[in-house]
Amino acid sequence: MGNLINKHQLKNFGVRTAGTLAVPALFVVVIFIICAAQGVMVLTSSSLFADFVCYAAIVTLTTFALSINLGSGRFDFSLGSMATLSAVASAQLTYSMLGGGAGSGIVMLVFSVLIGAVAGAFSGGLYVILRIPPIITSLGVALIFEGITFVLTNGTYIMSEVQNDSMTLFRTQWYLPAVIILVALAAVYFLFDRTKFGYDYKALKEGQKVSINTGIREVPNAVWCYVICGALMGTVGFLQAARNTYISTNVLNFGSISVMFTAFLPMFIGGFIGRFSNDKVGYLLAGLSMSLLNSLFAQLSLIGIIDSSSRAIVEAVLLVLFLIFLNNEQTCRDLVTGRIFKKWAEAARERKAAKHSREDK
Amino acid sequence: MKHLGKKLVACACALALTGSMAALAACGGNGENDEVRIGVLVSDVSGEEAVSFRNYYTQYIAEQYNVTFTYTEQLNDSASEIAAIEQFAGQNYDAIISLSANDRASQAEACEEAGMYYAIASGMDDTIYETYKNNEYFVGQIGPSMSTEYEAGLAMGEYYADKIEDSVAIYGAFIPNPMHVYRMAGLLTGLGATYGGATGEAIVGAIFADSGVTASKISLEGKTVSYLAGFGDSTMTEMGTIIATDPDALLSVGMATTFFSAMLNEAGIPYADIDSFTTSNAANMQSGTLEYLAGKYTSSIGPIFAAVYNAVQGNKIENADGSAISISQDYWVATSYEQFEVFQTSDSVTDPIYNKELLDTVIGEDVTYEAFEAFVTTDRTPQA
Repeated sequence: MGNLINKHQLKNFGVRTAGTLAVPALFVVVIFIICAAQGVMVLTSSSLFADFVCYAAIVTLTTFALSINLGSGRFDFSLGSMATLSAVASAQLTYSMLGGGAGSGIVMLVFSVLIGAVAGAFSGGLYVILRIPPIITSLGVALIFEGITFVLTNGTYIMSEVQNDSMTLFRTQWYLPAVIILVALAAVYFLFDRTKFGYDYKALKEGQKVSINTGIREVPNAVWCYVICGALMGTVGFLQAARNTYISTNVLNFGSISVMFTAFLPMFIGGFIGRFSNDKVGYLLAGLSMSLLNSLFAQLSLIGIIDSSSRAIVEAVLLVLFLIFLNNEQTCRDLVTGRIFKKWAEAARERKAAKHSREDK
Repeated sequence: MKHLGKKLVACACALALTGSMAALAACGGNGENDEVRIGVLVSDVSGEEAVSFRNYYTQYIAEQYNVTFTYTEQLNDSASEIAAIEQFAGQNYDAIISLSANDRASQAEACEEAGMYYAIASGMDDTIYETYKNNEYFVGQIGPSMSTEYEAGLAMGEYYADKIEDSVAIYGAFIPNPMHVYRMAGLLTGLGATYGGATGEAIVGAIFADSGVTASKISLEGKTVSYLAGFGDSTMTEMGTIIATDPDALLSVGMATTFFSAMLNEAGIPYADIDSFTTSNAANMQSGTLEYLAGKYTSSIGPIFAAVYNAVQGNKIENADGSAISISQDYWVATSYEQFEVFQTSDSVTDPIYNKELLDTVIGEDVTYEAFEAFVTTDRTPQA
C-alpha cells in the first residue's frame, strides 16, 4: 500500500514537474535550434544576462498586474499609463531631492511603487464609485494619467533624472532585478494565496454572487486589487526607466496601452503552467521565456533576419497558436499519444457499420 | 398667457444663442484684429530639439509679432496629420508650418483644399516639391534639403573613415524615413563602404528598394560593421550586444544621443550623431564620449516663419518662375566641447540668431526672392 501511494505521489510529482517545465523547456529548445541554425548566441556576456533578467522582471511584473484584474473580468487599459506616470513623477521627485546622487535608484523605486499604488487606488476607486464597466473606466483613467504625465514633463523626455550611477546598477547588476522579481513573487503569492484577502479574491473570481451572499465585501477587495496592480506597474515603470536610460512621455491618446499587450502571451502561458503548479510561478517562468525570446530577437535583428514589425507578427502568431492549443488541448494530447488515430479508426468503423445497417434495412 | 410667456422666453433664449454664435464666429473669423494664427504639425514633441523649436516660436516669435502658434500632439501617421489640418482649417487658421513628415503630399493637398498657407520647416523630397511647387497656398520649404542630409552623413563618414580600425557600429534610427535614408547613404559613402554593391547616391535608391538597411549588404573592406535601427523592446539588448564587441565608434544618423548616450558614455565608446545643440548633448560632449555632432540650432526655423508671415500678409515670396521657395540650410558641426559651447551660447530662445531685428529685414512688401535667398543662405556659423 505504501509503495502504491509513493508510486502515485511520484507519478503526480512527475506530471506536475513536466507540466510546469514543458513550455519553458520548449522555448529553450526552439531558441537553441534557431541559434544553432543562424550561428548566433544569446546571453554571451554578464551585461546581456543582466539585461535578460531586467526584461524578465518587466514582463513578469506586468503579467502579475494584468492577470490580477483580468482574472476577475476587469480589463484594465490603464496599466501602461500607471507605469509611465509613476516613473516620471518618482524620477522628478527623486532628482529634486538627490540630484542623481547616491541612493537615487532605490529611492526612486520606493517612490515609484508608492505613486503606482496611489494611481491604482484612484483607478479602482473610480471604478467602484462610477460602477460602469472597468473597460471604459480604465480607458478614461489611461487618458487622465497620460495627460498628467504630459503636464509634468511638458512632453519632453526624462533623461538626466534617470541617468546616474545608482540607476545604472539596476540595469547592469542582474541580482537587483532578480531580487525585485523574488520580492514581487513572494508578495503576490502571500497576498493572493495565503491571506483572507486572497481567499476572498478567489471566491469572488469563481462566483461573485454567491461570494457576496456569503458576506464577502467585493468593493474593498476590488480596490485593493487595483492598488496592488498600481504598485506592480510602478515597479515596472522604474525598471523600464533603468533599462532604457530614459522615459518616453509620448503617450498621449492611448500611447501607453501597448505595455499591456506585452503581457498577454506570458499570462496565458503562466495560466497553463499554473494548472500544474502555481500560476504565479507560471507567470515567472513565462516571463523568463519571453525574455529569452527577446534576447533571440535582438540577435536575429542584428543579423537582419527580423525587425520590430516582423517581431510583432511572430509574437501575435505565438499567441494565436497557444490559444488554439489551449482550446484544443485534448485533441493535441490525443495527437501526441496517437489516440486520435484510434478515434478516427473507431469513427470510421462506426460510420461503416451504420451504412451497412441502413443498407440491410 | 402662461404659454405665451414660455414662448417669449424661448424666443429670447434662441435670439441670445444666435447672437452669441454670430459673435463667436466674428471672433474666429480673424477679421477685426490682425493676429496671425499658425498651426504647427509635429511628429516629435519630446526631443530637446523639438522643445527648443517650440519655445522659439511660442516664447520668442509670438512675443515679437502678433502671432499665435498652436502645436499639435505627436502625429504618427498621415491620417492624424490630415485630421490636424482639418481642425486648424475649421478654426480659420491662416497657415500651417509642418515639422511632421509622414505624408507631405497629403498635407499640401489638404492645406490647398482648406485655403491655408502651407510651409515646411525642414527638408522635403524633391519629387514632392516639384509636384506641389505651383500650388497657390504652398509657401515652400526651408531646412536641410535631402542633398544636405546626404552631405551631413558624408561629412561624418569622412571624419571617421581613418579612425575606424577594426569595427564600427551604425545606428539607422528610423529608416526608411527619407531624411535618415539620405544621411545613411552619405555616411556609408564617407566611410568608403558599399551597400549591396551600390555606391554614392545610388545607395539611397538601394535602401528605399529594401525598405530599410539590410545589415549583410553593408561592405566595408577589412572592417566589421554592426547595424541596428528603430527602437523597441530588444533595442537595448542589441546595443548591449554591440557594446560587448567594443566597436571603434558608433555612428548614428539620428536619435542615438537620446537613446544610447548613457550606455555609450559608460562603455567609453566614441559616438557621433546628427541631432541638435542641446544641454544634454553638451554634457555628453564635455564629460561623455560624444565626439562629433552635426546639428540644427534653435532659431534655424526663423526664416520659414518670415516666409509664412509674408504670405499671410499678402506678400508671398516666390521664385522667378512663380513657384514656391525651396532653400536649403546647412548643419553646424562640433567636434569639440569648446566648439559646441560657442554654438550653444550663440543661439537661444531669449537671444536667437534669427532675432526680430534680423527677421524684419525680410518681412515686408518689397522683399525679393533674391534678397530672401541670400538672407537664408548667409553663413551664420558662430566662430570660436
